Amino acid sequence: MSNRRSELRRTLTGVGFLLPNIIGFLAFTLVPLAMSFFIAFTDWDILRHNIFRNEPLSFVGLENFVWLFTHPEFWHYMGNTFFLMLGLPFAIAGSLGAALLLTRVSRHPAALRGALVLATLVLIASGLVLLLGGMAEMGVWFIFGLLAAGMLVGGVLTGGTIYRTLFYLPHFTAGVATFVLWKKLYNPQTGPINFALAPVLEQFAAAVQAAAPVFAVGVPLVAGGLMLLLAGWQVRRLVRQWDDAAAGPVAMALGAALLALPAVFLLHWLDVPVPLATGGVLAAAAGLVIFTLRRPRPWGPVCARDAGVSAEIAIGLGLVPILLLLAAGVALGSGLPAATAGGIEPPNWLGDYAWAKPAIMIMALWAAIGSNNMILYLAGLSNIPPELYEAADMDGASPMQRFWHITWPQLAPVTFFIFVMGVIYGLQGGFEMARIMTLGGPAGSTTTLSYFIYIEGFETGRLGYASAAAWVLFALVFVLSLLNFRFGNRNAND
Amino acid sequence: MTDSANQAPRSGPGLHTVMVVLSLLMVGPFVWMVLTSFKSFTEAADPAWMPGAFRWENYPEVFRVIPFLRFSANSLVIAGWVTLLQVLTSAMAAYSFARLEWPGRDRIFFLYLGTMMLPGLVMLIPTFQLMVRFGLVDSYLGLILPAAFSAFGTFLLRQFMLGIPKALDEAAEIDGASKWRIFWDVILPLSRPGLITLAIFTFMGNYHSFFWPLVMMKTVDKFPLPVGLMFFDSERGQATHLLMAGVTMSVVPLIIIFVFLQRQLIRGIQIGAVKG
Repeated sequence: MSNRRSELRRTLTGVGFLLPNIIGFLAFTLVPLAMSFFIAFTDWDILRHNIFRNEPLSFVGLENFVWLFTHPEFWHYMGNTFFLMLGLPFAIAGSLGAALLLTRVSRHPAALRGALVLATLVLIASGLVLLLGGMAEMGVWFIFGLLAAGMLVGGVLTGGTIYRTLFYLPHFTAGVATFVLWKKLYNPQTGPINFALAPVLEQFAAAVQAAAPVFAVGVPLVAGGLMLLLAGWQVRRLVRQWDDAAAGPVAMALGAALLALPAVFLLHWLDVPVPLATGGVLAAAAGLVIFTLRRPRPWGPVCARDAGVSAEIAIGLGLVPILLLLAAGVALGSGLPAATAGGIEPPNWLGDYAWAKPAIMIMALWAAIGSNNMILYLAGLSNIPPELYEAADMDGASPMQRFWHITWPQLAPVTFFIFVMGVIYGLQGGFEMARIMTLGGPAGSTTTLSYFIYIEGFETGRLGYASAAAWVLFALVFVLSLLNFRFGNRNAND
Repeated sequence: MTDSANQAPRSGPGLHTVMVVLSLLMVGPFVWMVLTSFKSFTEAADPAWMPGAFRWENYPEVFRVIPFLRFSANSLVIAGWVTLLQVLTSAMAAYSFARLEWPGRDRIFFLYLGTMMLPGLVMLIPTFQLMVRFGLVDSYLGLILPAAFSAFGTFLLRQFMLGIPKALDEAAEIDGASKWRIFWDVILPLSRPGLITLAIFTFMGNYHSFFWPLVMMKTVDKFPLPVGLMFFDSERGQATHLLMAGVTMSVVPLIIIFVFLQRQLIRGIQIGAVKG
C-alpha cells in the first residue's frame, strides 16, 4: 500500500517539475500542430473568412494538396529549395578542411613570441598614425596588412584559437545584419565584389580570345576527362566496397543513382532529349550493376542490406555537385570563345535569374564553413585514437591513405549527422535570404518552400494552401529524421 | 587540404599563411561594412573601399533617423525574457527527466525528443491565428511566449545533468532536503556551465529572430533590431552608409559576446550533438 502511495508521490513530483515546460509546450506546439493539420484540409482564406466577412469554413478534403502538386510554381519552389542545398557538400568539405587545418596548428616556441608581439605593436602604432592622418585609397591594403599581421601573431601565440574564432564569426553573426551586408556586397554597380571581379574577367576574356581554339577544345576535353576520372574512381570504389562486404545492395544502388544524376544532366545539356538520356544512363547503370552482381563474391551473407549507406550518401553528395560543374564545362566549354568575344560582364548576382541562387549559396558557404559543423569535426578529430595513425605510419601509409582509411571513416558518423541536420535545416531555410536580399525573385528563382509558406500564409492570406505546403515540408523532414534515426544510430554503434 | 590528414600537430609558415588568408576572407565583409559606415551618402555609391574622410557623425545620425536605442532595447527585453523563461522551465523539466525516477518517464522523454524534429514552419500559421484570438498581436508577450518553451533546452540540460554524480542527490536526501531544494541548491549550481550554454544559444537565436517579429509587430516603437534595421533598406530610400553604421552597431556587441563566451559555446555544441 505504502509502496503504491510512494510511487504516486514520485510521479506527482516528477510531473510537477515538468509542468511549466509542458503546459507551454502543449499550448505552442501541440495545439498549433493539430490546428495546422485541420487548416490544411479547409479553404481558409483571409479575404473570405475574417472578422468583417465571416463566411463559414468548409472542408475541401485533399483539394489544397492537389492544387499544390498540380501547380508548376510549387515544384519550382521545391526545386529551388533543393537546389540551394547543393551547396551543402561544399560547406561540409569546407568545415572538414578547416577543422583539419586547425588541428595542425600548434604553438611556436616562446622565443618567437616576443619578436612577434613587438612587430604587432609597431604595426598597430603606425597604423593608428596613418588612420588619424587620413589616407588615400591604398589605405585599404594597409588595413588588411595590419589585420593579417595581427592574426598571424595571434595565431602563433594562441596555437590557432584565434583562427577558430575568426572562422566561427560569420556563423555567429549570421542574421539580418549580415544578409543586408551581403546584399550590398553583391550590388553590381556599387558593391566591392564586381568592382574586384571586373578587371579579372577582362583579363580572362582577353586570354580566351588570344587562344580561342585551345579553349574551345581544351575546356570540354579537360572537364570531360576529369568527369570520367572521378566517375571511374567512384565505380572502382563501389566495386571494392562490395567485395569487402562494406556496402550492401542499398548502398550500391544509391551510389549508382548518384552517379547517374550528373550523367543525365550532361546528356540533357548536350541536347539529348531527357527521356532518351535517362533511358541510356539507366541502361548503363543496370549493366554495371548486373556485371557487379555476377562477380563471384568472396564472402557469405554477412553484410547487412543497408551497410555503407551513410558513407555512400556522404561521398555521393560530395561528388554530384563537382560532377555537375564539370558537366557544365563539357557542355558549355566549346562556346566559350564566342561567348567572351565582347568581353565578360561580371554577373548581376541577386538581380539575375541564373546567378541569384549561386550568390545566396556563396554567402551561405561563407557563414557555414566555420560553423557548428567545424566545431563538431574538431571534436570528432580529437576523438580518433592516435594508435590508428601510429599503426598506419608503421605500415608506411601516405597522408592520402591515412585520410581515406582512418580519418574519413572515423568521422563518418559526424559527417552523417551534419549532413542530415543540414538537409533538415536546408528544407526549412531560405526565408530570411529571400525576404531581405531578393524578395524571392527574380522571377521566383530564390523563393524557397519557407518563403512560399510565408507569402501564402501572411501576404495573400490563403491559409489552407500555406498549411498544406507546411505539411508537405513536414513529411519531407519526417522521412529524413527517420533516416537519421535508422542509419545514424547504427553508425554511432559501429 | 584533405591530403594532409590529422597528423601529429606541427605548424610551419605555410600553414599559418593559409590560415591568415582564410581568416581575412571571413573578416573581409566586416571590414567593408565598417569602412562603408564612415562614408558620406555620395561616397556610398562608389565601389572604392576607403571613405574620403572618416565621417564619425554617421553614427549619431543613425540614432536620429531611426529609434535605434529603442529597437535595441526591444531586442534585449524580448531575448532576455525568452532566455530566462526557457532556461528555468527547461532546467526543471531536465531535472525531472535526468534525476527523478517515475513511471513512464523515459517514454515521455522520447516523445518530447521527437518534437524537436518538427519544422517550426508548420506551427507558424496556427500560432499566429492563436495570437490573433488572444489579442497578443503587436505585443511583447506575443513574441516571448511562443519562444519560451523548448524541447531542445530540455534535451541539452538533461544531457548535462546526467553527468552529475548521483551520490550528491542521495546525500542531500538523507539530510532531509526536499526535491525542490535539491534541484535549486544542488543540481542547478552544478549545472551552471550547461545553463550558461543554453542561455547563450537562446539569447542569440532570439536576438537574431526576424520572421516572427516581422509578422507579429505593427507598431514601429516595438520593433526589435533586425526588423528595425530594414528601414534603411526599403522602397522609401537606400542609405547604405547609415545602414552599415547600424549593422556595425548591431554586430559589434555580438562579436564581443562571442569572444568572451566561445569556450562555453563550443562545449554546448558538442554536448548538443551527441544524440546522433
